[in-house]
Order: sequence, then C-alpha cells, then structure tokens
Amino acid sequence: MSAGLSRAVNVLKEVIDAPIASYFNSCVHCGLCAEACLFYTESGDPKYTPIHKVEPLRRVYEQEYTLLGRLMKMVGLVKPLTDEELGQWQELVYDSCTMCGRCSMVCPVGNDIVYMVRKLREGMAISGHAPDGVVAATKRTVEIGSPMGVKLPAVKAQVGHIQDDTGLEVPMDQEGAEYMVLLSSMEIINFPEYLSAITRIMKQAGKTWTLCSTAFEATNSGIQIGVSDLARVIVSRIVDGAERLKVKTVISPECGRAYTALRWEGPNLIGRPYTFKVQHILEVLDEFRAQGLLKTQGFEEERLTFHDPCQIVRRGGVIEPQRNLMRMVSKNFVEMSDPSKYNWCCGGGGGVSANEDAEEIRLIAFKRKKAQLDEVKPDKMVTACANCRIVLEEGLEHYQMDLPVVGLTEMIAEHLVESEPGSQKE
Amino acid sequence: MRISNDEEFKAALNELDVYQQRRVAAAFVESVLPLCSDVRVNAAVTAVKHPGVTDVELATAYQGANSARIESFTQCGKETDWLAQAGHFVAKAAQCCVKPVEPGDNLAWDAAMAARMARACESVAEGSGTRNNETEKQYRILYEHLNR
Repeated sequence: MSAGLSRAVNVLKEVIDAPIASYFNSCVHCGLCAEACLFYTESGDPKYTPIHKVEPLRRVYEQEYTLLGRLMKMVGLVKPLTDEELGQWQELVYDSCTMCGRCSMVCPVGNDIVYMVRKLREGMAISGHAPDGVVAATKRTVEIGSPMGVKLPAVKAQVGHIQDDTGLEVPMDQEGAEYMVLLSSMEIINFPEYLSAITRIMKQAGKTWTLCSTAFEATNSGIQIGVSDLARVIVSRIVDGAERLKVKTVISPECGRAYTALRWEGPNLIGRPYTFKVQHILEVLDEFRAQGLLKTQGFEEERLTFHDPCQIVRRGGVIEPQRNLMRMVSKNFVEMSDPSKYNWCCGGGGGVSANEDAEEIRLIAFKRKKAQLDEVKPDKMVTACANCRIVLEEGLEHYQMDLPVVGLTEMIAEHLVESEPGSQKE
Repeated sequence: MRISNDEEFKAALNELDVYQQRRVAAAFVESVLPLCSDVRVNAAVTAVKHPGVTDVELATAYQGANSARIESFTQCGKETDWLAQAGHFVAKAAQCCVKPVEPGDNLAWDAAMAARMARACESVAEGSGTRNNETEKQYRILYEHLNR
C-alpha cells in the first residue's frame, strides 16, 4: 500500500462517524437518488448514481467497522481499496458531483449523500486524487486569500471604478459599521456591477457598511476540495476581520458555496459561535424591503424566471426572499418546473466549473436546465450566484439559446428610486 | 460643452440619440481595443462605425461580441490572468455598442464603464497601481465628438 493510499484509508476511517454508518446501513437501494441527479438523468449512465459515487467510503466502512466485513477481509474474501480505484473515482466524486444536495433531499431514509461525498473528498484530497484545478484554487485561497488569486490592489481598483460609476463612497475597514460586505472573487473579477449595486442600495437604505481589507473574499474552496483544516483557515480569516471591525452582520455575497460554508459550517469549523450574524445578501435585501428601506420604481416588462442556486436554497434554506424581491420589480415572473428547493443545479457548483476534466459532462448535464427553460420560455433569467451565472451563460451559449442572465441584486439596484448623484435611472 | 467630471460626462451621453451613442461607444472601445485580440470584437466596432449599418448587421455583431464576452469570462476557481480579463471587458464594451436598446439604457455610459474596467485590469496586470487616464481620455473623445 502506497503512503498516499495509506493516508487516504486512515482519513476515511476517521471521517466515518455515526451518521455515515447509519446512512450505509439504512440505504434501501431504491434508486431515487439517481433520478434526482442531473448527471445521471442527462447521461443515462448508472455510474453517476449518487450513492454509487461514495462506494470507496462504503467499502472502507464495511471492511473496517462491520463484523462480517472484517472477517471477510481477514480471509481475503473482499478486495482492499487501491490507489488506482481512488483515481478512477475522481471523475465520480469531483467531475460529476456539484454537491447540490438534491440526492440528499429525496432520499426516503434521510441519507445525506452530500455529507458522505464531502467526507470522501477528504480522503481523495489526502491521497492526491483531487483535480489539479481545485487543489490549485485552494492553495491560492490559503496563500493569497482568494481562489482566483485576487489581491487587495485588484479590490481597490474595483472600488475606485465603483466610486466613479456611482459617485458614492465604498467604505473600507470602517470600524463599527453595521454590515461587513464580503465579495466572491468572481464578483471582483467578472461582475463589478454587484458591488456597484450594494453601494447604491446601502446608500438608499441609510445603513453603515464596510469592506474589510483582510477579509474581502467569501469563497471557501476548502469546502469544495473537502479539507476541513483549510476551510477553517478561510472561515477564521472572515471571523477575525468581522471581530476586528466590530460589525453586527456579515453579508455573504451572490455565491452559493460561500454562504453555506460561512453560515452553516463555519461555527462548527472554528469550534465556537460567531459574535456577529451572517446573512445572505438576499435575506438582507428582503429585510430592507419588509422594513420599507428598499424603494423601487417600475417593473421589468419581460418574462423573467429565477434560477435558484442550490447552496442558497436547498442547502442554505433561503427560499422566499428572492421571490419577494422578484415580485417587487416584475409582474411577469414565472417559475421553472421543480422550483425553489427542488430546483436543478446549473451543473457547475462544488468545484466542477474549476475542473477542466469536467467540461464535457457539465455541458451534458446542462440539458436539464435547457429543458426547464424550453418549457417556460423566459425572456431573461435572474439568479443570485456569480458561478451559476457564468455556468448558465456558457451553457446557453453552447446550446445557442439567446437568453440574458442577470444578478438579482443588480436588477433590484436598477429599479432603485434615486435622486442624488450616483443614480442610474431617475 | 466642457466635460470635467462623470456627472457632466453621463449627462452629455444621455443627451445623445441611440445612433450617436453607438458611435461614441465605438470610440471608447477603440481606445482599449489593443487589449483584446478577438476578431469578433473588432468586427462589432467596425459594424457600428459603418454609416449605413442595418439592424441585421447589428444583431450579427451583437451575437459575435456576446460570444466573445462569454468565452472570456474567468471561470470560478481559475487563476486570474488580468490581461485576459482586460480583453473580457473590451468584449463587454463592444457588446454594449451593438446591443438592442431597452428603455433607460445608456449604451455609451455602459461601454465607457466596461472600457475603464479593461484599463483597470491592465493596470492590475502590470502591477502599476490602479490609476490610469482612461477616464480623461473618454472625456476628450466625447468632447471632440460633440464639437465635430
């Protein structure tokens, strides 16, 4: 057994906890998880059945923690896990799993298959079987602070641009502000309109807010790759920044994975509760709406639909805010089939879009989204995740579908009632 | 008309009709065009500058510029190549020149903002700080257009 494999098996033995043991014992092999996975439904290949993707973990469980399995291992009746098999499984654990959680949601016995995939990824990463792209992204996050190598000067460049664009100040390191706004690298690099929208919305709402020079990045690729130690480093950076600036609330941006990592997994990773609240930007905007702090005018004339990012909706529990906000600026909002927590993934989450090996299967999986869109025929698609947005645009381009994709925060800002310099539409 | 800040710049652009906005936007893109090597972007600018450009030609140019914009996104988790990203924003600016107009749109302003982002990306790539003179250059382009 190679050193890498030995470490991987040890890690897998360690990560098998009571929930995982009960999941393997509870599985009734019904196949419902297969029908819930877009990689299976769109390819028709049974190897993409979610519970099959965690087969290496099941074998370690059986051989190490069950009486029959241990006896069979002792007399050579079961095959030990090999490095080659783990290598083959990379495609199933990383390329064709966005950890969207649809399989976990439909499982009739309550098995959280995503949880098992995450634990299996820990062993895969240790044994060197994580995709190069995802490993490099995680390394950059730890060393530089961003999976895409974004450094503070780039953020400052965008801040300068936004200040010119809006005529408003973008505060940095303002101690005692009510909100600390995080950005995803994707928003810094590709979508400056997000920060522009935040700046204008906060101005209208009359709220104090700030960016943090030591913790501007929200993306947690430690979660994607499945390495808890790295995920903890990334969360700790945000916690340190928020506590240094004494903010009341940290706002997670239009990035799905960032939200679940910070909101739901963060306190467990650092081993204590936060001293501040974490909200997704959609929750904050909906609060402003309910409090009468978000004043909009006019309605989108086109037929709009909303793509629910899995991590925000299904894994994150943010379901109604985006619908309230859509109705605020649209009279022609139409839901796709299987809406909200049942929505189908864009196909690029969980590190899949950073993984070049996954490109072909990702575009095959996109056929599900295409079918959903063909059914409702919208004029524009709105979403709230920068990664979804690019994956959707690429998929639409690949299938030659002429459909604009916009961010919800940005769309709300376009309808703000503004009267001072900085307004776009008056 | 004197243009010395973005408020005046935006107001002046707002006064232009769509045809004029497209022409000025094309000039903004031309200023940063060396940052993008995609022929579809160049084709969009050329189309806009043609006096007799038809709606069909604009729609074709839009498709090309939009494809160039989408293909040049930096994908989630990839290491950022700031010069390539500058090219993305040039494609976005070119797309603004030829996009179908919606009520409330200020095509030229949007193109100007994307062109400035392109220049900012170039500055980040060169490690030369974040300031550049693209804004002032755009003021001059508009001034010359208005006084032609």
